[in-house]
Amino acid sequence: MIQQELRWTPFLLLFWREIRRFMKVVVQTVLAPLISSSLYLLIFGISLGKSIDLSSGMSYLAFLIPGLVMMGCLNNAFSNASSSVVGSKFAGELEDYKISPLSHSQIIWALSLGGVARGLMVATITFFVGQIFCYIQLGEMLSVKSPLLLVFFLLVGGIGFAMMGLSVALWSKTFDHLSAFGSFILLPLIYLGGVFYSIDTLPVFWQKVSMFNPILYFINGVRYSILGVSDVNVWFAALMSLVLLFVFYILSIYSFNRGSFQRW
Amino acid sequence: MADALEILNLVKKYDSLIAVNDVTFNVKPGEIFGLLGPNGAGKTSLISTIVTVEKPTSGSVKIFGTDVSVQPRVTKSMTGIVPQEIVNHGFFNIEEILTFHSGYFGIRNNKTQIHFLLHKLGLFEHRHKRVKQLSGGMKRRLLIAKALVHQPKLLILDEPTAGVDIELRQSLWEFVTELRKSGVTILLTTHYLEEAEQLCDRVGIIHQGRLRRVGPTKELIDEFTQRNINLVLSKTTGSLTNKYLTHQDQNKVSFQIPSTMKVGELLAQTQLNVSDIVDLQINEGSLEDAFRRVLGGVE
Repeated sequence: MIQQELRWTPFLLLFWREIRRFMKVVVQTVLAPLISSSLYLLIFGISLGKSIDLSSGMSYLAFLIPGLVMMGCLNNAFSNASSSVVGSKFAGELEDYKISPLSHSQIIWALSLGGVARGLMVATITFFVGQIFCYIQLGEMLSVKSPLLLVFFLLVGGIGFAMMGLSVALWSKTFDHLSAFGSFILLPLIYLGGVFYSIDTLPVFWQKVSMFNPILYFINGVRYSILGVSDVNVWFAALMSLVLLFVFYILSIYSFNRGSFQRW
Repeated sequence: MADALEILNLVKKYDSLIAVNDVTFNVKPGEIFGLLGPNGAGKTSLISTIVTVEKPTSGSVKIFGTDVSVQPRVTKSMTGIVPQEIVNHGFFNIEEILTFHSGYFGIRNNKTQIHFLLHKLGLFEHRHKRVKQLSGGMKRRLLIAKALVHQPKLLILDEPTAGVDIELRQSLWEFVTELRKSGVTILLTTHYLEEAEQLCDRVGIIHQGRLRRVGPTKELIDEFTQRNINLVLSKTTGSLTNKYLTHQDQNKVSFQIPSTMKVGELLAQTQLNVSDIVDLQINEGSLEDAFRRVLGGVE
């Protein structure tokens, strides 16, 4: 009897806790990304975008929106999951998970889905803000070419990055470790992953280097889903996204088995 | 019936430090067992392995017959723990914390038990407050409520009264006694040995990772302590000769006898007349004395 109850309830309650957690600090989790997306669209999309000509003839503002949508999703999924673990470590709450019958798998999926929920919320807000900018600037809104692919890339990318956030947070021994990972690894990868430019504009050598950046596949997957254009084959991007999700999942399982649950 | 807790040859090492060294003992269903030891003795490491926060280096831990390494989710469902340190839950209020905590144990609608505990522990009117808004004593009581939301069969209290005032300590121990009456088995660690002596059916004394002694509280006290008998006589008596005599000054004499020896036996040996005794004072040995003796014997 109790085993049956342990199958879903602990997972669902932890997932619900994650949603409630980021909704309690809605200014930090939703409004702040809204402001930053608006600034990116205003400065890069409208102001600088006027002087950027894409070879496809597409408006730079339209090109930018999918990248910002995915960047918002990945960043927030990562931040939500990692800050949840780090915050729980700091408060001593992480040991609560360990002493309860929550399995590692349940914790990973609940926290990852919590992270992707925030990521999707920010992605949606960014997309709608982008649509407003598009309407003002171009006189029309973007139509999504493939909604299913869009959901696929947002979900797979968001869950993967949330899992990476969990792993980094579990291995972090101080807030500095987490912030160093964000500043020195995650941020450069996102900015160099094709959010603001097409890798076709890079020299051949750097194009090849870019192919090792996992974020390139997520960004281009979303760009293809919305605009129908991509620097890489979309099915290859989908395959790479699934491979990366698998890698991040294995990494998070390993981290939960070996990382520290003890409070700071 | 299986023991509530069975620890067999448990070893826990942290690099070169052996925190728990070949410890074996059991806790019977329905008893209060006190795990006593100085700071750094290995109590918390031992508890961490029971609740699977730490993996044992070797040995086994079973809760009601189930190995914690083999079926941890089953053993965790039966166990509640009150940790030594306060846990801060940042964003959530007390009722939310207890609701989520119930959920982690597979209980979705647990309002009745949560409200029962909140009333019982004097937290009901504070249920919408966050942890940081609570006093130290309330935070401790919240930890106890968390440990009991899923009605565990085994409750582990790791120094639950550390830094708690005397009134709250008293009420906590009363609650612990009530829990035992309702069938909950309790393993507790505390530095308040007088309270442990009153509460615990059996105690284990751990030092430097090794379990030095384990047994019924009374038997341990009897084994390791002596009774001090102080007599005031109506008149000065001649020099007494008795192997238990520790002090004699005019009409005042003192003896130290084994805990198992009766006062009547002593009087018979010394051939003192009961009618000559004006006052008699008996100081029984305490758990604290036994604890000191056990630790003193190994240092």
